[in-house]
Amino acid sequence: MKRIISVSINNEIHELAVEPNKTLADLLRYDLGLTGTKKGCDTGDCGACTVILNGDAVNSCLVLAVQTDGATVETIEGLSNGDGLHPIQAAFVEHGAIQCGFCSPGMIMSAKNILDKHQNPSDQEIRQGISGNLCRCTGYQKIFKAISSQCSDTNPGNNYGGLHEKI
Amino acid sequence: MLLPKFEFYEPASIQEAIELKQKYGPDAKLLAGGTDLLVHLKKKRITADHIISLMRIKDLVQIKMDEACVEIGACVTMAQLSNSQIIQEKFNALKAGADNLGNHLIRNRATIGGNVCNASPAGDTLPALMVYQAQIILQGPTGRRKMPIESFFQGPGKVDMNADELLVGLQLAIPSGNCGAHYIQLGKRKSSEINVVNVASFVQIDPGDQTIITARIALGSVAPTPIRSFYAEDALNNKTASESLFYEAGEIARQKDCKPINDFRGTAEYRKAMIGVLTKRTLAEAFRQAQIR
Repeated sequence: MKRIISVSINNEIHELAVEPNKTLADLLRYDLGLTGTKKGCDTGDCGACTVILNGDAVNSCLVLAVQTDGATVETIEGLSNGDGLHPIQAAFVEHGAIQCGFCSPGMIMSAKNILDKHQNPSDQEIRQGISGNLCRCTGYQKIFKAISSQCSDTNPGNNYGGLHEKI
Repeated sequence: MLLPKFEFYEPASIQEAIELKQKYGPDAKLLAGGTDLLVHLKKKRITADHIISLMRIKDLVQIKMDEACVEIGACVTMAQLSNSQIIQEKFNALKAGADNLGNHLIRNRATIGGNVCNASPAGDTLPALMVYQAQIILQGPTGRRKMPIESFFQGPGKVDMNADELLVGLQLAIPSGNCGAHYIQLGKRKSSEINVVNVASFVQIDPGDQTIITARIALGSVAPTPIRSFYAEDALNNKTASESLFYEAGEIARQKDCKPINDFRGTAEYRKAMIGVLTKRTLAEAFRQAQIR
């Protein structure tokens, strides 16, 4: 039986009727057309479906849509405010951290979650923070550099903290 | 991959969850973090007509403590454990287990109750829970019962729990002074890995002459369930701590206590050798901590 849920997705409240056996990843992609969130393995191994749920990065393929009643979800579509790329997205482009691009939305959501939680993450915190996101193209080093460039000590003028408030 | 169709319930209290479990019996499965259950459902390894989510039960998502004990709710996540001050200060081996489970995305969802009920021989929090002598708290229609965690495990994925019961939490006595504990897991890579071997050790020493009063060692991935290394523990009790004593204990654990199998993660011989090394290392670190606590 379908259930009615109310969930905030990228700062917009959605009232939706969902089947209990639908995952959050499928709800985003097939019901809402938010296909930026990718599905790779669908079993929580690859991280392509990473979204931020109530402030924590999670695999959206392992969350039931019905469980998100009352929750706040951020997806890759919520990053840009319409005036161009979010600074993390821009950093990924600048550092060549995107090759085929399939892992990028999940990787960027994990990166955002690291930077939301630590203004100045250590190298290890960055590496651990993306350890659930597989990338078969870049070898991770460029991704690591892109995220490092967004730490406030490597980039003192970085307005990351201010910008993400607007999202 | 599609999930099979099921009815979904989100009870707000333990009582309500037990009533649902009573009503639907083995057709109902309890859902906590979902990092294992949803994968099994997708891969059709298990079936369930009714899914009862426990994540909205407030009593289950808290870490409570008094002077003597900590009670960890079954739905406390790995990330919550890692960030808890009391776990960091008093149960660092458990924190190490929680820090190493899966990867950061999994740790934000996976729960301690799920890790315990899955009863994987390689479970990351299980050796630490065993050396801290965690008590399992089960609640059913007739009330609560407690049991030591070791008797809860009956085999891979098998636990001593009735169909109408619910794991509500784990109770751990806060270690006194002069105690230390450590956990090391060995995998092929650092994250998103199932352990080849994992070991936790706990020691309590006499601060005067450095004698070991109590030693507990738990070995993972070398038997159908995580096991205690009783022969090695016996070899340590009432002996003066030293590097050679820890080496000896590791050798005993390797030869007498563990019964690993060959599989694609590692050979039995390799696992045995690593049990020796990790037992020695966890004991040495536990002893170092016991000296300064």
